[in-house]
Amino acid sequence: MKRKLPAAALLYVTVIVTCALLVFPIYWLIVTALATPAELRALPPTFWPTAPRWGVFAEIIEQRPILLWLGNSVLAAAGAVTLSMLVSVLAGYSLSRFKVRGGQSLGLFILTAKMLPATLLVIPLFGIFRMTGMIGSLWSIILAHATLIVPFTTWMLKGYFDTIPRELEQAAMVDGCSPLGAMVRVILPVSAPGLAATALYGFVLSWSDYAYARTFLTNAQTNWTANLGLTTMKGEYVSNWADISAAALIVALPVLLIYLFLERYLVGGLTAGAEK
Amino acid sequence: MSRSAFLDLARPSRRHWLGYLLLLPAVLLIGLIIAYPLFVSVDLSFQNVGIPRLDQPRRPFTTMNYERLFTSPEFWNASWTTLKLVVIVSFFCFLLGLGTALLVNNRFKGQSLARLLVALPWAVPEVVAVVVFAWIFDSSFGLMNWVFIRLGLVDTTISWFSSPEAAFAVVCVTMVWKGYPFVSIMMLAGLQSIPEDFYNAARVDGANAWQRLINITLPSLMPVLGVTLILVMLWVFRDFSIIYVMTGGGPLKATQTLSIMTYEQAFGFFKMGYASAIGVVTLIVCVIASRLLMGRAPENI
Repeated sequence: MKRKLPAAALLYVTVIVTCALLVFPIYWLIVTALATPAELRALPPTFWPTAPRWGVFAEIIEQRPILLWLGNSVLAAAGAVTLSMLVSVLAGYSLSRFKVRGGQSLGLFILTAKMLPATLLVIPLFGIFRMTGMIGSLWSIILAHATLIVPFTTWMLKGYFDTIPRELEQAAMVDGCSPLGAMVRVILPVSAPGLAATALYGFVLSWSDYAYARTFLTNAQTNWTANLGLTTMKGEYVSNWADISAAALIVALPVLLIYLFLERYLVGGLTAGAEK
Repeated sequence: MSRSAFLDLARPSRRHWLGYLLLLPAVLLIGLIIAYPLFVSVDLSFQNVGIPRLDQPRRPFTTMNYERLFTSPEFWNASWTTLKLVVIVSFFCFLLGLGTALLVNNRFKGQSLARLLVALPWAVPEVVAVVVFAWIFDSSFGLMNWVFIRLGLVDTTISWFSSPEAAFAVVCVTMVWKGYPFVSIMMLAGLQSIPEDFYNAARVDGANAWQRLINITLPSLMPVLGVTLILVMLWVFRDFSIIYVMTGGGPLKATQTLSIMTYEQAFGFFKMGYASAIGVVTLIVCVIASRLLMGRAPENI
């Protein structure tokens, strides 16, 4: 016992120091947002705000259309996730349960599509959206985000359906369900946690996009997403870091909250493929 | 009796019919928003075209974009920058990711909180990470200059974003901070799948902590390690937002990777045929990498 105590203390110190260093940038973002202009220019820097300006968030929301940007991001994510989930639930189920000719090639294509750089697809998509008059509308972003989300969700869902025993459907069909009915009434309800995790993952992917929003929405200010709006603030406001930090925190908040409360589901989806 | 025929899941016709039907919406959508654009991209790379008009007949076939590309110093420069970035960022992501995973894999009170905190940057949007680090490395009031002066490393403030080497370093730091949690999450999942018995057996044989790490932990992690390494390298290779928002590829193109160059040529200079040619080169790299990935993780497919 005597020998174990210093080892345990050392472990705690290492863990605390490591966590503190790695999370420090997020802490620093919060401190900066709450700092007064004088504190921002002070050296040595203020590590603990003496008079935190809690009003900064209300101010920045009043001065900047941040709520509009957040609303647009939510709309884009909702549209892209809905569209992606609709097609990938069906496709994931098919890839998991049926032997379809060409299914494997489709699977390989989807897996490769997961690796595509946005800078490659953004050029032809620009051409297509220009031709159809969609540049500047949220529809362009919904479709562009679906290119990011569909490959992920299809694979995640196929993996999830693979873990559900086939006996469930067989039992349902013995009870008189059609194959489609077995899927809708038995498999989908059982898969609810997996579906939720997959949809959340899609939401995070959509929320994090900058490249497509920058390309398709720059000239349509009323449709700016949160990330796009935030970067325009960085460009113009070189000196006012408190405001930018406050806006950055607001933009990061939804995904941070999802992570903090639903970490288990998100991480489960992320590692599902690698463990097996 | 008719019902039992209906029930027969193995009956080929029914299985196929429904399987194809369920795949159809995905095939249509993927064809429309991924496969067709990919085709357009390759097609554009063989045309002398600025801003494409897809409703008009295509321009004549030419390989001039590729000839220009392979003789352009800018392209080789961007390739070198990309390679440097991929190697450096992936290396440090691994060091930090594996280190933190091993650390929080220990049993202690508050372990789940530590796990949550260690992977927290994963949940920070890339552009927000850029805001944080652009401020920390600000040339006048940034924290890092103060730290460097206090430590006596420099006597005057560094303008991080005007010096090519410094800007490259800042981009690396930002990408490592944003990228290591993914490694950590994957490694932790890998660590938890190693049976405890392995370690107990090794202890009985008198292996110390270092020997256990080298002889049990790392070899057991190898499959996950390979997959994660390729995924992280691809992430760095493809990344656009961090570099573009942070430095725009500058100063003096010091942080201009192939992704940034593609985007600049397409939407800065509106040379989309030329940009597509760079894009196709990155596509080939991505396809090779994803084939490697499939070779390493056969069960994953």
